[in-house]
Amino acid sequence: MTLDWSVVWEHRWALAAGAAMTIQLTVLTMLLAVPGGILLAAMRLSPLRLLRWPATAFVEFFRCTPLVLQVYWAFYVLPSEFDVRLSGFATGLLALTLNVSAFNSETFRAGISSIRRGQSDAALAMGMSSFQAFRIVVLPQAVKRVLPVLATTWVALFKDTSLVSVIAVSDLAYTAMQLRSRTFRILEMLTAMALIYWAMGYPQAKITDWIHRRMAGRE
Amino acid sequence: MNATTDKAIRADRAAVPRLEFVEVRKAFGDLVVLDGVTIRVDPGEVVCVIGPSGSGKSTLLKCANALEPIQGGRIVFDGQPLPADAEGIRRVRRRMGMVFQSFELFPHMTALANVEAGPRTVLGMDAASARARAEALLDKVGLADKAAQYPSALSGGQQQRVAIARALAMEPEVMLFDEPTSALDPETIGEVLGVMKRLAEEGMTMVVVTHEMTFARRVADRVVVLDRGRVLEEGPPRQIFEEAREPRTREFLSHLEWTG
Repeated sequence: MTLDWSVVWEHRWALAAGAAMTIQLTVLTMLLAVPGGILLAAMRLSPLRLLRWPATAFVEFFRCTPLVLQVYWAFYVLPSEFDVRLSGFATGLLALTLNVSAFNSETFRAGISSIRRGQSDAALAMGMSSFQAFRIVVLPQAVKRVLPVLATTWVALFKDTSLVSVIAVSDLAYTAMQLRSRTFRILEMLTAMALIYWAMGYPQAKITDWIHRRMAGRE
Repeated sequence: MNATTDKAIRADRAAVPRLEFVEVRKAFGDLVVLDGVTIRVDPGEVVCVIGPSGSGKSTLLKCANALEPIQGGRIVFDGQPLPADAEGIRRVRRRMGMVFQSFELFPHMTALANVEAGPRTVLGMDAASARARAEALLDKVGLADKAAQYPSALSGGQQQRVAIARALAMEPEVMLFDEPTSALDPETIGEVLGVMKRLAEEGMTMVVVTHEMTFARRVADRVVVLDRGRVLEEGPPRQIFEEAREPRTREFLSHLEWTG
């Protein structure tokens, strides 16, 4: 079998657009899933059962079912059963956001629980409301403490965005797969796809390592 | 000095106490921590609460500002029982300052921001006034030059002085000190006690849970001995330290390595 790498160069703009879509999905998902995770974590830590239970059910559902199933479910069931019509991109973003929010919620919950009670006592003792104590005193410390975990989630998310290709969102994975079936250049396209993912993912992984190292030495 | 203090206490007895614990009962599950504690703190009075560890001293302070709920009796602040609603409790907490054994400064804020936090968020003070107040208070505790430092860059004694400034920023009517020097290196204890002594001289009403017997002896108007969740005895420092009625008080004091 002769390899023909020119096919990759030929479709460089399509691949670049796919890569841009992958980055866009990653960034948007995280932008939504951080507040989503904080909200869910706060609900799960609430003394009110009415808030705690739905949040727990949500988190345990999305954490314990495959992401690809959630993507399919959003794609087929939302329009047919609930008459919600979203673009493929929005559907993929929704599924990713719900999934990562569930994981982030557990991260934030651990972070919030790790802040010792004396901190919120000190905030409450000066007359802050529970919400002020949470927002001004507990949350900023918790976020800082879980930053390494969030970075790890980020890198996992970056790769998991490829799952939205199953609903024809033209991210890097979908674009490369399409080109593969169109050109029959299987090895070239898969290799190109692997290299592009790696070239984007490697710096992210290195930054994550750096965050881990930097935070490790601190309180 | 003791004679005039005693007279002052007697004169104030007619007035409304600043803070009063009446038959307070507190339990964690089956463990009874406070078993009917009655203590009266008059305006301008410095009351030191001493006693063996596990006697309920710290819990007593946390009940005073409702950080811990009580199961019986009542706590009366300025003639009013502690309110039951969250908003009412917040209003009362604004008028009480609290200083913790482990400082509990907010580590993600500078010393100045720690002191400003209460006035800004709770009193809704504008940035410039809050800053001016915080700077004046840091100056008062001798840390004007540390305003921009984060707590992690300060010594224990400095952190505790910032914590005192932070509590004072709310202009409280009573200050609650929970073993403020127990977590400190010996060489920094003096600077914290010095700040507290000056506060007492300015007429601040203070409840101080402490193991610093020299401080209790010199600064307290009254010493309360707590043991197993009950008030064992109370009185002016000289009486407690030199002519304690209760054998358990004498026993407790003899176990402390204090030099009076």
